[in-house]
Amino acid sequence: MDNIIEIQNIGFEYDDGERKKTVLENLSLNIERGSFTVILGHNGSGKSTLAKLMNGLNKPNSGKVLVDGMDTADTETEIEIKRRVGMVFQNPDNQLVASIVEEDVAFGPENLGLSPEESRARVDEALKAVGMYEFRQKSPHHLSGGQKQRIAIAGVIAMKPECIVLDEPTAMLDPKGRAEILKTILKLNREHHITIVLITHFMEEAEQADRVLVLHKGAILADAAPKTVFNQVDMLKQVGLDVPQTTELLFQLRSGGADISTDVLSVEDTAETIARCFFLEEN
Amino acid sequence: MAKIIEVENLTYAYGDGSAFVHDAISDLSFSIEKGEILGIIGHTGSGKSTLVQQLNGLLKPTSGRVLFDGKDIWENPKEIRKVRFQIGLVFQYPEYQLFEETVFADIAFGPKNMGLSGDELTERVKEICSVIGIPESYFETSPFDLSGGEKRRVAIAGVMAMRPQVLILDEPIAGLDPKGRRDVVNMVAEYRKAYDATVLIISHNMEDMAMLADKLLVLNDGKLLMYDETRNVFSKPEVLREAGLNVPIVTRVFEELKAKGYDVPTDIFTVDEAVTYLSNRKAGGSRA
Repeated sequence: MDNIIEIQNIGFEYDDGERKKTVLENLSLNIERGSFTVILGHNGSGKSTLAKLMNGLNKPNSGKVLVDGMDTADTETEIEIKRRVGMVFQNPDNQLVASIVEEDVAFGPENLGLSPEESRARVDEALKAVGMYEFRQKSPHHLSGGQKQRIAIAGVIAMKPECIVLDEPTAMLDPKGRAEILKTILKLNREHHITIVLITHFMEEAEQADRVLVLHKGAILADAAPKTVFNQVDMLKQVGLDVPQTTELLFQLRSGGADISTDVLSVEDTAETIARCFFLEEN
Repeated sequence: MAKIIEVENLTYAYGDGSAFVHDAISDLSFSIEKGEILGIIGHTGSGKSTLVQQLNGLLKPTSGRVLFDGKDIWENPKEIRKVRFQIGLVFQYPEYQLFEETVFADIAFGPKNMGLSGDELTERVKEICSVIGIPESYFETSPFDLSGGEKRRVAIAGVMAMRPQVLILDEPIAGLDPKGRRDVVNMVAEYRKAYDATVLIISHNMEDMAMLADKLLVLNDGKLLMYDETRNVFSKPEVLREAGLNVPIVTRVFEELKAKGYDVPTDIFTVDEAVTYLSNRKAGGSRA
């Protein structure tokens, strides 16, 4: 298998001088090139720490992290690794640096030492990819939360990354903003073949992923397709997580005696399943 | 029911007096009944935070008035601090504001500022913690050793310890995992029950709002788009979507069924309502 990221038996601990706190222990994980992976876990489960290990923002205390075969501990390849794996964080306001949208997106390519023409081309392409090209001359503070977050994503895309790691990019957004980001992520994955690692607390955002990882106390508790993971309702609730409202509904119907399948997630499929179970006999 | 807060023609302009003046809130009027849970929803930048900061006197309206118990909160500007004790505001990400060495000291900070001391202060902290379920064994812990969800609850408890009649929470569940969200929602419900308080919650989570709020106030570009019982607001999905919002996921399932041609109601807003409806329909159907 072709992996963009290989995490090999890593350990990670924080040390504030007084005490040491182990966050991740003996963790191994591969991210396949071109895949869309969602990471779930309660607050403090080690998700953000893991995310930052994926492009060398964090370095493991033991074990190895390889990006396209390059060790993140190796300072020689540091810039190349950060170019290949871009990060997007929770708060869009903390990630924008310039007063004009296109200048903000150009910040990365210009630092790569590209020619003005090449920079220009990359900025335009990145803004088009996130659907924000028409806003290129605007000031970021006039944009909505979802639009600002798309600008932050464009800034990463302009670096032509292989992979984007997004750490709760929708936590501060309204429903429309959340939908915009999810659509953008899917487009980047499906059409631009960028590998996506998405960390989120919104269970329904995991619906269209290829793979869902559940992190608990620094270890991987589940690693499977979304339908398989969300069918483990009790396990998820035990570790402080939940299932999408669609799954919750189907499970409650089944425990109320309905002979209904519970392995669908999307609104459309759930409606279809309910129709088959409850309404077909009426027609 | 008695009105506890009345808002009259409230307008707030940022950059007033400069060339960049724009109204964050324009000409809002509404009133809030004592004891209800009011959800405030609106797209990012719709003016939600600007609105609630005027309700407890952190921002002074450019024009218009806020009445608390029938009295203009700015009638005597020197007394505005008292208003802030009675109308408590929990900011977004309040855990970033924790600063004391122990959980007890952090929760005690607000009531101490109100003039409480000694046994009275200790009793006040103990009481609020027992109401909302923060165990006393946490008292000597450093707030910085708690998990993200626990930190949030301690920070909220610090405002609750002032025992405000009106408790306003600005996105209290943002960034929390599902269990953390439930814990915060439960502690707010407990507080309201114990002190007969009025609660205002800003949130982007429509599913939680459907379960929690008696009424919803919908802001769009600083203007009042809707103010009605939660059921009535969620019955207008097109208006909500136009404003960058949505209906709960379970409601979308019923919209989809309707679109497929099935005769179903679209005023189903929680999983419980959906289960009850479908079970009754099945029972009725098999008899027919």
